[in-house]
Amino acid sequence: MARSRGKENKQRSKPKPVRYFDYSLLFLIIFLLCFGLIMLYSTSSYYGVLRFGDAAYYVRKQLFASALGLAAMLVVSQIPYQIWMRFSTMAYLAALVLCTAVIFIGKEGGGQSRWLYIGGQSFQPSELAKLAVIIFLATVVYKTSKQVGNFKTLMKVMAFALPITGVVAYNNLSTAIIILGIAVCMLFVASPRYSHFVVMGGIVIAVGVLFILLASYRAERIKIWLDPEGYEKGYQTLQGLYAIGSGGLFGKGLGESMQKLGFIPEAQNDMIFSVICEELGLFGAVCLILLYLLLIWRFMIIASNAADLYGALLVVGIMAHISIQVVLNIAVVTNTIPNTGISLPFVSYGGTSISFLLSEMGLALSVSRGIKFEVT
Amino acid sequence: MQHDTSFYRSKTFNRKKMMVMFLAVFFILVFLIGRLVYLMVFCSEYYGQKAENLHERERDIKAARGKILDANGTVLATNRSVCTISVIHSQIREPEAVIAALVKELGIDEETVRKRVEKVSSIERVKTNVDKETGDRIRAYGLAGVKVDEDYKRYYPYDTLGSKVLGFTGGDNQGILGLEVKYDEYMQGTNGKILTLTDARGVEIENAGETRMEPVNGYDLCISMDLNIQKYCEQAAKKAYVQKEADSVSVIVMNPKNGELMAMVNYPEFDLNDPFTLIPEMEEDLEVSVDSLSAEEKQNLLNQMWRNQCISDTYEPGSTFKIITATAAIEEEVVSLTDNFFCPGYKMVEDRRIRCAKTTGHGAETFETGIMNSCNPVFMELGERLGTDNFYKYFRQFGLLQKTNIDLPGEAATIMHKKENVGPVELATISFGQSFQITPMQLVTTVSSIINGGTRVTPHFGVEIRDEKGNLIKTFSYDSKEGICKSETSEMMQYLLERVVADGGGKNAKIEGYSIGGKTATSQTLPRSEHRYISSFLGFAPADDPDVMVLAIIRNPQGVYYGGTIAAPVVREIMENILPYLDK
Repeated sequence: MARSRGKENKQRSKPKPVRYFDYSLLFLIIFLLCFGLIMLYSTSSYYGVLRFGDAAYYVRKQLFASALGLAAMLVVSQIPYQIWMRFSTMAYLAALVLCTAVIFIGKEGGGQSRWLYIGGQSFQPSELAKLAVIIFLATVVYKTSKQVGNFKTLMKVMAFALPITGVVAYNNLSTAIIILGIAVCMLFVASPRYSHFVVMGGIVIAVGVLFILLASYRAERIKIWLDPEGYEKGYQTLQGLYAIGSGGLFGKGLGESMQKLGFIPEAQNDMIFSVICEELGLFGAVCLILLYLLLIWRFMIIASNAADLYGALLVVGIMAHISIQVVLNIAVVTNTIPNTGISLPFVSYGGTSISFLLSEMGLALSVSRGIKFEVT
Repeated sequence: MQHDTSFYRSKTFNRKKMMVMFLAVFFILVFLIGRLVYLMVFCSEYYGQKAENLHERERDIKAARGKILDANGTVLATNRSVCTISVIHSQIREPEAVIAALVKELGIDEETVRKRVEKVSSIERVKTNVDKETGDRIRAYGLAGVKVDEDYKRYYPYDTLGSKVLGFTGGDNQGILGLEVKYDEYMQGTNGKILTLTDARGVEIENAGETRMEPVNGYDLCISMDLNIQKYCEQAAKKAYVQKEADSVSVIVMNPKNGELMAMVNYPEFDLNDPFTLIPEMEEDLEVSVDSLSAEEKQNLLNQMWRNQCISDTYEPGSTFKIITATAAIEEEVVSLTDNFFCPGYKMVEDRRIRCAKTTGHGAETFETGIMNSCNPVFMELGERLGTDNFYKYFRQFGLLQKTNIDLPGEAATIMHKKENVGPVELATISFGQSFQITPMQLVTTVSSIINGGTRVTPHFGVEIRDEKGNLIKTFSYDSKEGICKSETSEMMQYLLERVVADGGGKNAKIEGYSIGGKTATSQTLPRSEHRYISSFLGFAPADDPDVMVLAIIRNPQGVYYGGTIAAPVVREIMENILPYLDK
């Protein structure tokens, strides 16, 4: 941090800046990706054999999406991120259209239609929406950064994020919450004030309570959360807790999970963290959390040292995205909050998710490349 | 550098807020780590155990139930291997071949088999209690998805023999009736277990290993019942049952010295290998067909069929009870053998005229001839001389008012007047064995205690417990109480009862070359207006040192109903067979 902080004046006098590239971030991404693939293989092989007669079915698909994502990441990391400012409105509109389209022509999956089929490949537009919102809001906030301290402006910017949030919320409430969270985080960093966000937090809590009271099935989720053993629908949560509890300090060993054998429904999706706990124990789980923390820390460093506010805001958006998903996923799996479907970045099964996640990482790397510091 | 003019730089407050954001995430994650520590360290045992219960499948390995052996070591109850045929839907490869094979071997219709085979379930039972040969044949087909599990089924080689004594077992190898219940804990054994791990569909996980706990087979029960004696008695009982068209015939054979029961018959017996089917004798009495009965009605009939009348039913003992009255009188010294009585054919008690069996009267007689004649007025006189208090004192002393504590379930208690309610009429009727009820077993036990020298014995079948290899595990001991009457009294009773058989009412039980004591009885059941009788005879031999006591009871005989005429020959027939047999 100290390397580049408060050296604006000197940079002008020294004309030979050294291009920076955040290799530790790259290393973290690759490590997490590999770890994720291994755990995914371990978790999904049971269902793979059961449904497709192929233990590697899920991991192969994930590997393909990861390769695609890695390629995108490398390309994006080489492109100066300022370019995206021009495409931001287009990306936002495209995401909006696709997310609207999925409501009408989506493919059924778990009761709600969330997938589009494009050329034989399934595609989840809500994943694109997250990236689009990050790019779009970074642009909007950047352009209004002088007035963002003004509550009215703040609300105006928030209003930009609402259409896509609404459309996504129609069939994927969890992702809508993430999108809203990303928007709030970006505005929080851009605004010089705190009070606005206290007010905003209050509104969110009030709306949330109203939301729960309005729909009885949401109130039921709260009841299940408080007493998962007392309700039949607490099955998934309870099975996750069984897995976590049976892990103990060092776990049963890689591949040794019993709960993944059909006890946890679709363990390779949102509940994969519980299988990690069972196989690798508290030790493995804490290591994974620390890895995420390191990743988030790297984002903060990059954001702090970004060449301009636009880059900083992009990385803040990515940081918010990863943070919210990691926190909510682990909180759901450990039954710390009521159940809602949120995947664990880099680990959970999901091709669209991993591809866009890696593209985002490319964006963060690209911002890191923009950092200039002098060699002493 | 040109960007510097067109792009704003982040300000210090932006960086500060990024730090705030990071710290917020940091603390939330630390909190979640705390939550994980709580779940994985402190709740680990709780959730781990629950998970294990979910994954483990327990399969029982049945323990073989102990056998029941008679006094000579003959097997009366044992186990037979039977098979349970099941199908596992997910493992079936050739459903048609499976259906064809099962239809052919099991003899059930195709529709039923098809339904089982095609049902999507983890395991579906097709048929139980299939004999082992059929099971082996089905196994030989080698069809995938067909499971043949071996199991034990209780088997009684002599079908009906001693059915109400031995009892039978239920599907879970638990005793339901008779000795099977009483000695269940010894015979049951401990089931073994196979623990395997399964996935959520119940499919066993390969290479997960299994924990096996071997079953411990049950112990064998050795009883005092003698197969041959029981058979003789059943034949004799059946003969009387058929000849006299009786409702039922009971026989008890006991060693009066130690209470060991050698036989206990309640004819008609039922088939222990098919205990839930009504016997033909009962079915004939039904006015409707068995199938039209409600479940409850059928169960009532079954309970009636399973009833061990020797211990569960009480009856008015009638004249056999005079043994007890006489013993009490001798013990209390209110009578001697030479005391003189006169029987006019009745005795006036208060304003009632209570008749003797011989309405014309026995005339002048001594105490001895009074017993031989089974003369009611003599015993009414004795009861009067004893008085209610003394009479009841001896009832208690003889153990008549308690249960015999026989090692069979379902023993009925004596039904006797409350002492306060006994007036002269009741006292008189009690004296010759009427107006109260005891079980046949109680009568045999009490009389045994009187003629064996005065020791109250506990009647029993159970002798010892042995393991599979015949090693002695436990010998049962039973309570006995000495001195319930003086040995002189006992000897006098032996003499008197021998006289009854030698030259009195029991002469139909006489066997050349043996000294036999005994007493007849004919009692009328309630209500008296129906003229239904119970004829009985109680005999023992040798009279001066009895080794065996036999009681025969014929309920509701048609035609001649005098105990001396119809029950005494039954006992004689039994004794003719078993006395030489026991002498060996």
